Amino acid sequence: MNPSGSNPKVQQAWFSLLKSRTAGLACFTTLILVWMSLWNPTFLAWSNLRDIAVAAAPVCIISCGLMLVLVLGEIDISVGSMMGVLAAAMGAMASASRWHLPPGVAMVGTLILGVFIGAINGWLVAYLKVPSIMVTLGMLTALRGVTEVIMGGQWITDLPPELRSLGTGTWLGIPICLWVTAAVVLISLWLIHRSTLGRRIYAIGSHPKAARLAGLPIARTQCLVFAWTGFLTAVATLVSVPQLSVVDAGIGVGMELLVVTCVVVGGTAVSGGIGNLSGVLLGALLMTMISTVLIFMKLGENATYWSRAIQGLFILGAILLEPWTRSRKKP
Amino acid sequence: MDAFEEKTMKARLPSWLVTPESLLIGLSMAFWFIMGKLDHSFLQWEVQRELSTHIWETALMALPMTLIILTGGIDLSIGSIMSLSAVTAGLLHQAGWPMPMGCLAAMVVGMACGWLNGWFITRFKVHPLMITLASMAAFRGMAEGVSQARPLSGFPESFTRMGNDAWLGLPIAGWIFAGSLAMAVWIMHAHRLGRCIHAIGYNEQAARFSGLRVDRMLLGLYTLSGLSAAMAAILFMARRNTAKADIGAGVELGVITAVVMGGVSIFGGRGTLAGVCLGLFLIHETREFVSWHWSRDELNLLALGVLLILSVVFQQLLGHKRPS
Repeated sequence: MNPSGSNPKVQQAWFSLLKSRTAGLACFTTLILVWMSLWNPTFLAWSNLRDIAVAAAPVCIISCGLMLVLVLGEIDISVGSMMGVLAAAMGAMASASRWHLPPGVAMVGTLILGVFIGAINGWLVAYLKVPSIMVTLGMLTALRGVTEVIMGGQWITDLPPELRSLGTGTWLGIPICLWVTAAVVLISLWLIHRSTLGRRIYAIGSHPKAARLAGLPIARTQCLVFAWTGFLTAVATLVSVPQLSVVDAGIGVGMELLVVTCVVVGGTAVSGGIGNLSGVLLGALLMTMISTVLIFMKLGENATYWSRAIQGLFILGAILLEPWTRSRKKP
Repeated sequence: MDAFEEKTMKARLPSWLVTPESLLIGLSMAFWFIMGKLDHSFLQWEVQRELSTHIWETALMALPMTLIILTGGIDLSIGSIMSLSAVTAGLLHQAGWPMPMGCLAAMVVGMACGWLNGWFITRFKVHPLMITLASMAAFRGMAEGVSQARPLSGFPESFTRMGNDAWLGLPIAGWIFAGSLAMAVWIMHAHRLGRCIHAIGYNEQAARFSGLRVDRMLLGLYTLSGLSAAMAAILFMARRNTAKADIGAGVELGVITAVVMGGVSIFGGRGTLAGVCLGLFLIHETREFVSWHWSRDELNLLALGVLLILSVVFQQLLGHKRPS
């Protein structure tokens, strides 16, 4: 399968453009933008658009990793809890009242911890052949427990200013987290389109048996992709959690679902082998925008209550639209 | 099965020793022994009887979950179905409906949710994992939206008595579980449905080709799962005298862990109800002991997650390999 979702010949045809998930998503997103700007012109204000982008940044970063996991034909629903653990660990390492390590060490420590947890997931899936849903379902709960053990029932309120600036600071007038997101996206694009690893991931996802017969290192690739997702989760934690003034045990709850929604809405096949990054990024943008839209529509508290139902309906819709937008893979 | 497969543990130990049931019995005994050493008071009969009220909801949902996992599927949405059914009953009670009617409506809602899961799974041929992951969010979101996340309480005394009364020493919830268990045993061992469920789990395509009505059976199983979640919700409401959109959060993990620990293969086709009962018992004792001895609930989350992963790893070692 070609990462862009269809072959170049067909791509020229209008027909395929109409059927492509990315084009559909782009139209839908534009439609919402236009509609919202008619409803309330301040929606298009620079500050609001920046807020949406900043909110979408961690989602985009994690989606880049999770998309590869889904392309492999696996799933990772532990990223939310992983974010909680990483946030707690980062806070505990950096805060003056706990371990009081220098901010740089706390950052590197968080990244290493992220890779480590991801690698555990990957090791269990790749070498012990445990289905990824069971591993990450167990992790989803276990890591939540670890978070609470680290936090010890207290909040961490004294993050050092250097770390805070990672979340709130700007460079050349653009928030740092957007620069980081751009870097992650560029690396992912290179990974998917230009690297051997990327080709391997798509090959394994579209036909595991053929990939094994071709001698591809399946277990190593799986392990790497899970570790990479862990790393990206750590990156997302580093740029998003310092935006808050308080680290509590509830960080990242529901994140796994949001990210899975973005990835699936973005046209990544649940059965593996298919997925393109632009669709996933558009999906992330769309899903973050929806919560802002709900707030702009002045639904008040209803917005928060119904947002989860809307998320679920979006995943269902995306899964069910899959056979319509492309010829189905055989089971 | 491929040729490079390593030697499994099964090859080295006598076969009667490595059935999940005998291992679980051994594990439970070892566990009781350690608990007795650590904390005498935990093993007292009164304490155990009091704590046993917590398990019945999980146990009730574990039965259909066993059947579903035997067919090679999974249902992650039971916790959310619980909350939606509870909120339904609670809101109808507030609207002035008599409680039995409210419970009936809750059961209908639960069955409808389960049926929807089954319909999506059989109609669109997507793995149950993704469908129920999505509906997990959707149902919980609906419960939150409909109830505005308010707690609903003030149920009549006749209703709450159901959650706290016992008959012949066993709580009413326990009797409901016993009845369901008897039915499940009958289905699995004396009815052709049991054979069909195993057949679907071993090889769904072969089952289809041999003329079994696979889709209809799956639809029924997921509906049953929804119904059991609704019943669990009603029992929970009766026990706690409250209904809120956040009840049943994470309950699916306990249920799935119990089933998998009981030796039901996650790839379908293998497993027994006796094993699941032992798994339930072990999960229950672990959970209660952690709360009792260290009185820290977060350790429970940790223990449960690790137990789930360990039991699947153990299954792999015993030779229930992932079919390639």
